[in-house]
Amino acid sequence: MSTIMPSARQRSLRIWAFWAVPALLLLLPLATNAYTQFIVNGMLISVLVTLGFTLVIGNLGQLAFANTAFFGIGAYASAMLTAKFGLPWIVTIPLAGALGALGGFLASAAALRGIRSYYLAIITLAFGELMRWAYLHTKPLTGGTDGLPLPREVVFGISLSDDTLKFYIFLGVTVVLVKATLNLMRSRFGRSVMAVRENEVATASLAIPTARVILVTFIWSGFVVGCAGALFARHVGHVFPESFGMLHLIASFAMVLVGGLGSVLGAVLGAVLLTALPEYLRAFPGMEELFFGLIVAAVLVAMPMGLASLLRRLSPIFVERYYREES
Amino acid sequence: MKKLTSLMAAAAFAAAPALAQDDGWETRGLTDDAITIGVMGPFSGNASSYSKALIGMMAYYDKVNEEGGVHGRKLVAVQEDTACDSAKGLAAAKKLISQDEVFMLHGNSCSGVALALRPTIEETGLPWIVAHAVSDSISTPLAGNIFHGVPTGSANGRAMAAFVLSKPDTKNVAIIEHSNDWAHSYSNPARDYLKEQGVNPSVELTMERGQTDATAQVLKMRQNKPDFIIAALYEAETAIFLRDLKKYGMGDIPVMGTAGTDLENTLKRTGDFDTVKNYYVIHSYVDNLDGEKMKPWGDMIHKFYPDEELSTFSFVSIGSAEALVSALETVGPDLTRSKLIAALEDVREFDTGILSDPITWTPEDHQGVKGSAVAGFVDGEPTVLKAWGQPY
Repeated sequence: MSTIMPSARQRSLRIWAFWAVPALLLLLPLATNAYTQFIVNGMLISVLVTLGFTLVIGNLGQLAFANTAFFGIGAYASAMLTAKFGLPWIVTIPLAGALGALGGFLASAAALRGIRSYYLAIITLAFGELMRWAYLHTKPLTGGTDGLPLPREVVFGISLSDDTLKFYIFLGVTVVLVKATLNLMRSRFGRSVMAVRENEVATASLAIPTARVILVTFIWSGFVVGCAGALFARHVGHVFPESFGMLHLIASFAMVLVGGLGSVLGAVLGAVLLTALPEYLRAFPGMEELFFGLIVAAVLVAMPMGLASLLRRLSPIFVERYYREES
Repeated sequence: MKKLTSLMAAAAFAAAPALAQDDGWETRGLTDDAITIGVMGPFSGNASSYSKALIGMMAYYDKVNEEGGVHGRKLVAVQEDTACDSAKGLAAAKKLISQDEVFMLHGNSCSGVALALRPTIEETGLPWIVAHAVSDSISTPLAGNIFHGVPTGSANGRAMAAFVLSKPDTKNVAIIEHSNDWAHSYSNPARDYLKEQGVNPSVELTMERGQTDATAQVLKMRQNKPDFIIAALYEAETAIFLRDLKKYGMGDIPVMGTAGTDLENTLKRTGDFDTVKNYYVIHSYVDNLDGEKMKPWGDMIHKFYPDEELSTFSFVSIGSAEALVSALETVGPDLTRSKLIAALEDVREFDTGILSDPITWTPEDHQGVKGSAVAGFVDGEPTVLKAWGQPY
């Protein structure tokens, strides 16, 4: 009994903690202006981008850098479907996710052929650059170097250029995808993902289909980041190839590391901190990049396991589990 | 469904204040002694060298302030970094508009950022004078509150092609360009102008940013023996291209570059006069940078920014700042945003004394500068030209 009670209490606390954050966030627009709301919206997008990235690089342990490619695919898919085919933007979110998943499937091909480590890194980086080349050179579809603007839309009588309305949509999508990812990682599948990371050969010897595990993780990562791309397209209202280059990839990688590799909570923390930080550093023009670099380096030196490790030390409710608790 | 309806109701409630344009909107950012102006530019990132484009404008504000301001109001600039990135640029614009509550916006390099900003700024209605970015799509189709204060890509592109064709017997024109929107904003109008004059480019090549060798492009051009080459390349790549042209014996073919390159900086980069002796650039000014007519402007910049190393970019925003101050003076002390927009739309043939062409804004056309001069070395000296062999 004494062992069950704390677990039940912790479970209850975890559930409360998970739902309390988005519940409180519902009230946030009452305290923001257009600028701060825009930044918060950007944070929600970064959460999904980082989440998708950490799944592959942290949980699955594959040195794959196709994340920005998935992001671009999602953004361009959403922009094209709204601008060229007249679909409502909201409808394009899952479609962009599906195309991001297709990108994940393609990116996993290299991993499935046994390519690992630095070789996989280079191949997936090339995939990202190839996609950027495609955005640049398929002008009739993507607008080429001029980019692709999204048409203005009105939902429930409110323009989709309104950051508050976007916030509620972004928040809904983010909560659903974070919760789905948490559930996925707590399932038998999630444990298989971790097993592949620790020792792929040993995992295969347990009759776990490692190829399928790798494939599905890439596909899910692509889906999550593809959805984030659709949100980004509406967030900035105009997609350009330059948004999906190496700088974005480096920023996303920094978010994964600062938050904590392979941690859903870390993905959230890293994304929030590193999206907010450059905005705070606006107060130091000319020094922003220096301060940003120093702060990221300081966090990594002080907390090699990322910000999530700090919270785990503070309370056990922040410890991420890879099993389902008894109710 | 009920939950969804409640959520949307909450969204509508929260959005309501943002959607309403209150009574104070017309004079927001104004006090009895100050006009706050949001100035956006790439102060960090890969394109931070373009932040020099805002120096001239800032120095002009300082000069006006030193002389007592406009109707007793000082021009107070609030600077924000766009890092030449659309998301960061949007954040900067939203900060200036909703947090710093500036009266108007002025500045902006990087056409991609400006294009991303356009819908937001158009919706807010704040007057915005674009002082560096050149893409035509920023101010066309017409947006009531957005004004272009520099020659746009089409004005520059056409000026480039017109200069090329002003050289007698020019029939065979080659084009080399980057594959980005900046380069296309020059090369596409140049192509259009050439075609209007019955000239089709004989060869069109791409040189990507960051490329450190142009041998392949130069050898391809050598086969076509062009009379003139139009190069829509950034300065670093221009220097590489000119170096390789000379290397393969094509140094005598004239090359027409964009306003994104500076004649003397290009010479500094190549370190060899022979490589740039036939290089011409779009030059939006009335004189050489160190010429008599430019000296007062250079002195003005150095008075307020003593460490500024003057280049083409340092002067680019001064003309639009002059036109702005002129419009503010026309409006008088009873300034509002609508009155300023009306005054800007009434600017006709405004001679800035620094730009080679005057500024004219009308209610139908907000692209104020319709042409540009060209600079090149004549007898070893940098010279401003109207057309081939015709000094400005």
